[in-house]
Amino acid sequence: MSQQTFKSASKRYWRAFVPTMIIYLIATLAGSFYLKTFETEPTWLQATVAVACTLPMVLFLFIQIRYFLETDEYNRMIQLKGFAIGAAITVSAIFLIGFLQMFHVINRVEVFWFGPAFFVAYGLSTYALGGRQCL
Amino acid sequence: MKNIIRALRSERGWSQAALADQLGVSRQSVNAIETGKYDPSLPLAFSIARLFEKSIEEIFEDETASDAKLAAE
Repeated sequence: MSQQTFKSASKRYWRAFVPTMIIYLIATLAGSFYLKTFETEPTWLQATVAVACTLPMVLFLFIQIRYFLETDEYNRMIQLKGFAIGAAITVSAIFLIGFLQMFHVINRVEVFWFGPAFFVAYGLSTYALGGRQCL
Repeated sequence: MKNIIRALRSERGWSQAALADQLGVSRQSVNAIETGKYDPSLPLAFSIARLFEKSIEEIFEDETASDAKLAAE
């Protein structure tokens, strides 16, 4: 076993996480600001901005998976449990809200919000399982 | 699983963070193992045993086996 497994994994995680989140913020803020300059936005431009905003999140998920694989075993267990609980809560919400929409009980809900909802559920589950230092 | 890691660590005057550094794990991992909330994997148990120059059985006590032994007696 490497002597610095946990510390080096954490360093690698933060070194990848911070720039990815900065790129995400820039892409979402600049993208939405840029689209507002058009009276009627061209579809190709809307699609390009949407892809540019999504790519950092995809990258972030892979960074997260690499962290799961590289961190120490206890932290990996907490993170994976938190991830699984977060996913279970989000998928349950998707089914419930989907059926409510299908049966016309509620109005349309933006699918986008399930993404942030997953990260909130994942974060809270991890906190509940391992405390603040496991986040 | 019960263990005597806290006692062995105290004997050497090491903090949880110092032990964690030597094992390459987080301080939370050491705390979870010491308090019995988490049972380490075999490779980690061997690393702990090597560090304290003891056998795994000297450090960890299998409570299920102890209970079975008591029941048999």
